[in-house]
Amino acid sequence: MPQTGDYLMFLLTTAWLLPLVGFVIEMYWLCWSHRLSKGAAYFAVGFIGAGFVCSLLALLIWGGATGWSALSGHHGADAGHHAAAHNDGDHAEHHADDHAVAGHATEHATPVKKYYAGTYYELARFGSLRLSLDWYIDSLTLVMFTMVTFIATCIHLFAIGYMHDELTEEYEDHEVHMHGGGHFSRPGRFYLFFAYLSLFCFSMLGLVLAGNIFQVFIFWELVGICSYLLIGFYIERNSASTAANKAFIMNRVGDFGFLIGLMIIWTSFGTFQFADTDSHDSPEAGLFTMIRGHDGRLDVSEDGKQVYLRDASGHRAEQNGQPRTITYLLLVAAGLGVFAGSIGKSAQFPLQTWLPDAMEGPTPVSALVHSATMVAAGVYLAGRFYPMFTPEVLLGIAYIGCITLFVAATIALVVTDIKRVLAYSTISQLGYMMLAIGVGGWGAGLFHLVTHAFFKSLMFLCSGSVIAGCHHVQDMSRMGGLRHKMKITAYTMLIGVMAIAGLAIPGTSIGFSGFYSKDAIVASALAYYELNNAHFLLFITPLVTAGITSFYMFRLWFLTFAGQPRDQHVYDHCHENPKIMTIPLIALAIFAAGCAWGGEGGPLFRLIADSELVPAVERVVSVGASKVTLPSHQGHDSDVHHVHATAGMLALISAFIGMGLAYLMYVQKSIRPSDIRRQFSSVYDFLLDKWRFDDLYEVMFVQPVHIVAAWCVSFDRKVLDAILHGSAKITVLVSGWDRKFDETMVDGLVNLVGTVTFSIGSSLKVIQTGRLRQYIMWIGVAVVVLFGALITAIPK
Amino acid sequence: MSPETLLTCIVFLPAVWAIPLLVFDKEAKEAMRYWGVLGTALTFLLTLQLWLQFDTKTSEIQFGFAHDWIASWNIYFRLGVDGISLPLIVLTGFVCLLSMLASWSIDKNVKGYLMLFLILETGMMGVFLSLDFFLFYVFWEVMLLPMYFLIGIWGGPRREYAAIKFFLYTLAGSVLMLIAMLMFYFNSGRSFDLIELAKIATGTGKVATFDQTMQVAAFIMLFIGFAIKLPSFPFHTWLPDAHVEAPTPISMILAGVLLKMGGYGIIRIAFPLCPYGAQYAAYFLVGLGVFSIIYGAFAAMAQTDFKRLVAYSSVSHMGYVLVGIAVWKIVDGKTINRDYWTMGLNAAMFQMLAHGISSTGMFFMVGVLYDRVHHRDINKFGGIAQVMPHYAGLAAVIFFAGLGLPGLCGFVGEVLSVLACWNFSPLLAIISASGVILTAGYILWTLQRVYLGPEYKGPHPEALVEANSRELAIGYTLVVTAILFGVLPNLLFSPMQGSIEALTQSLATAYETLYSAAPAVQAAQLP
Repeated sequence: MPQTGDYLMFLLTTAWLLPLVGFVIEMYWLCWSHRLSKGAAYFAVGFIGAGFVCSLLALLIWGGATGWSALSGHHGADAGHHAAAHNDGDHAEHHADDHAVAGHATEHATPVKKYYAGTYYELARFGSLRLSLDWYIDSLTLVMFTMVTFIATCIHLFAIGYMHDELTEEYEDHEVHMHGGGHFSRPGRFYLFFAYLSLFCFSMLGLVLAGNIFQVFIFWELVGICSYLLIGFYIERNSASTAANKAFIMNRVGDFGFLIGLMIIWTSFGTFQFADTDSHDSPEAGLFTMIRGHDGRLDVSEDGKQVYLRDASGHRAEQNGQPRTITYLLLVAAGLGVFAGSIGKSAQFPLQTWLPDAMEGPTPVSALVHSATMVAAGVYLAGRFYPMFTPEVLLGIAYIGCITLFVAATIALVVTDIKRVLAYSTISQLGYMMLAIGVGGWGAGLFHLVTHAFFKSLMFLCSGSVIAGCHHVQDMSRMGGLRHKMKITAYTMLIGVMAIAGLAIPGTSIGFSGFYSKDAIVASALAYYELNNAHFLLFITPLVTAGITSFYMFRLWFLTFAGQPRDQHVYDHCHENPKIMTIPLIALAIFAAGCAWGGEGGPLFRLIADSELVPAVERVVSVGASKVTLPSHQGHDSDVHHVHATAGMLALISAFIGMGLAYLMYVQKSIRPSDIRRQFSSVYDFLLDKWRFDDLYEVMFVQPVHIVAAWCVSFDRKVLDAILHGSAKITVLVSGWDRKFDETMVDGLVNLVGTVTFSIGSSLKVIQTGRLRQYIMWIGVAVVVLFGALITAIPK
Repeated sequence: MSPETLLTCIVFLPAVWAIPLLVFDKEAKEAMRYWGVLGTALTFLLTLQLWLQFDTKTSEIQFGFAHDWIASWNIYFRLGVDGISLPLIVLTGFVCLLSMLASWSIDKNVKGYLMLFLILETGMMGVFLSLDFFLFYVFWEVMLLPMYFLIGIWGGPRREYAAIKFFLYTLAGSVLMLIAMLMFYFNSGRSFDLIELAKIATGTGKVATFDQTMQVAAFIMLFIGFAIKLPSFPFHTWLPDAHVEAPTPISMILAGVLLKMGGYGIIRIAFPLCPYGAQYAAYFLVGLGVFSIIYGAFAAMAQTDFKRLVAYSSVSHMGYVLVGIAVWKIVDGKTINRDYWTMGLNAAMFQMLAHGISSTGMFFMVGVLYDRVHHRDINKFGGIAQVMPHYAGLAAVIFFAGLGLPGLCGFVGEVLSVLACWNFSPLLAIISASGVILTAGYILWTLQRVYLGPEYKGPHPEALVEANSRELAIGYTLVVTAILFGVLPNLLFSPMQGSIEALTQSLATAYETLYSAAPAVQAAQLP
């Protein structure tokens, strides 16, 4: 009898593998069709669309099994929510009563099963160590699946229109100049683009579905290579292939940390699996249970230096009679290591510089890979791996997010390339998510991940629409007034801008999606600040940056769509795009505006919150070196709930100030941007140079690597080979002496012997007289001498 | 087919197959090439048959047999297979078939080339199959000579230099091996039987175990002999020269099979015969492996010759093998977390096989270009993907396999040996993990300079035509294998697991026995 888990697994696996089938078909498109056919795109859309249907079905099944429902509104959902909170509360109470039997709580109240997990197949097994491909499905997986497949479907559709000019035998690339003058031309690669997109979808969905951290790493690399292929889609452009290399290599820097995290986990825990395995005779604990037990708490030793691991029942695990532990510092290192992977993938400080360059890829790629899904994978991982993070790691995450969101937002203020503004805003928003996770706002961070995915992919597609409409002009200083020509694009973009700025009608709870999610983040940050006064920056920065965000986003909209056209040529040739491109915009706009409906009581947030493994009903006080207290944020008397209204109001004020400033500067022109630029020219240049990170890295890393590489080569040639050649020379030299010795000494000796013998012979010649008597006399003498010798020599 | 016939056929079929080549007409090049392909294909089929008959459940030597050879010196013709040699035998058959198919570009004295090629294959098969030290040594030398001539006659402009360098390096290693072999012979009551010698080393043989000083001395000599073949820093400088000068198919064999003999020798001979010596040098070995990884990657990055670059990438990749083999953590005579060492050894084996596929592929891909434009200067390429898209796609997959991309074979060996390393030494593990950045750096940079870009910048642009069906067939075979073993690594792990598990088990016991017998002579443990 198939269980809910089997249905879910089947549906999501189908959704995951369909794009792979699509990839193979599209890759070999020229084998069964021709270059000018759009069929590859239809395959890609069909497969990802089917994936969306599967994900949606899975979501409904999930809803049926756990009591979550999007449509039946607050009632049922609240009940489920309360039930969950209640259970968590019970766990906590129980824990307080009896330290030792934490796992006992499961009998106390039967909680709704929160996840389904299982194994596809085994990769390898070494003694007790087992590597496998697993699946892990909870509400977060489902949200990600539905979101990714939906957005991907929209973007695939959009790309059919956007990549239309690749449907040709002679694609002329105006960016590439040939040696002999003139532009480069090549056959179009329409099918290839969709093949790469399909491969990306497969990898991304695999990442989300992964049931162990090693598998996450596998797909992590795969999305990385897809991103490489897509950024470098225009392989003939040097800038594109360089950007692709940069993206992949900077990601690898993060993955280096990830790998260290994996090594620690593998050696300390002996497993990579998230979930417990219960298919065996003796259930084995997964990572989350090992570290958090069933009560969601770290079991730290008295001195704070060791963390006790738990077994599948939630008790302390034992090995050879000793409790299994992991050094607290090692756990921190593992967390930071895995988070380093997130830094690379999500373009966080200090590895943020690859993302703006990645805009070299076609715009649909930027929308799908570099804003909505892949770069959010870092946040997803931080969220998924949340139970493994100690408060110290979370603090690190918060600060990284805090720095990133500020740095990127400031750069976005001065950039004029429409796609790059969006790229920096992506980095900044990802920083918000990281910050949220870092301050304990797990739900808020992932909430923002989903809302951001909708409004940012929308905005990227709008910018793509603008770029396509303006014939590949990307510089906003040549645009202006486009709203008259591109109505749908302009107003869907406006929805996106208002969503990211987090606007709402003051005094009511009616707002764009970004309002709710940003509100949740700022509230978490404020609650965190109230508990940890030393970390006030973690609250001030996001609040101020909310204003900056609103400013640069409205600046973008005003510069592009409002005012008078600044380049008449561009304006005259500009046109709205066909339906295949505008319909996805409208679909995404609806979600960008309303997906967060209901805020933290709404269906989306409740759905995400269902997956939270570490209950946040109580404050968590850290026990490590640094004292941090994580705010509680569930229920009506939680820390976060108390400050919610204040935080929301502050964030809204900040956003309105930013919007107002942008209006004054770019529409009313009562403040002239050029004056400010002149006033703060050094700051302006600094921002325009992207805080000079690229130059710094060039000097710090790229050049030294080349120098060391050259050293290695010359070491080989000048030392190792020199030794070899030297010894060869010495051998030749020695053999030369050998020859001389042979020729002079040995041969000389032999010759000497010969000569002496000859001369003796010839001197003895005189004795040979021929006279018989003389001979006999000599014989007689000889006989006598011999006898004499014989007699004396032989002992008696 | 009886096991005995099967093993004998695998070893000698290629050499016997070379004899009829004598009667071929000198000008019947095409016919001779097909004859050669047929021979290697048959051998490959035989190795596959061996795999089918192989029982993955047992860790013992299978199909083993021995015949008197030089009875008065206790030298036997002793062959046998276990999980460690089986995958390498199949790999040898596979790589030889592919390189034979890639040999169409050889036009000079085809008859001699093919004969030497087939003799070389016999030598390689013999090395992997023999279980008698003396026989092993003989095959080791048998393999050396054809290789010398193949590089020295059919090679590039500096072929004599490269051939002699290769020959002398390997010979130096052989001499050390010979000395070590005689040490074992005289200390074991005159035996060359590798299985018996290993038993003696673990203290379960007929005579007393080898003492610690002798083990250390023998291990050092054996290790240098094998490290030259591996090659590991600082014995690696013959490799780039040999590769650059060798014709493409020979480069494929060199990278695909010959380098594996170093790793195989360490696993089959150096470790089992001197467990004490191995443990004594373990930290040094892992350190050397890690250093080779980083050093090879750096050196590869600075190359402008495409083939040299690939050769240095081999140095880097074979470093993982050394790391995986030697991550034997011992505290107070007891092996700590032996599973991680088992994993490391498995990973090392896997890395050898994966490198056999990816590196063979990389050399082949370079060769395809070289056959067309007759130069290898990376900076004078560019835009190959525009003119040869099908070929460039396959090449990209092969290079990604070298880069260690998940889903392709290179990933599994690299990442598992690195993961196994933390248990041994966190510091070395971190350094070896940093190799992933450098590897990505040089491979992507190479791809960019050779395949991407708008136009080809070097001589003979007219010669750049899409790969022909023979080349595509080789390319696809390699790509499919790379994906297959990347997605289902257990296909390779399952036959070798048992033998490696038994090996680590017996070595751990052996060391413990030795340690408890004479703990006073402990070497200072490095951190």
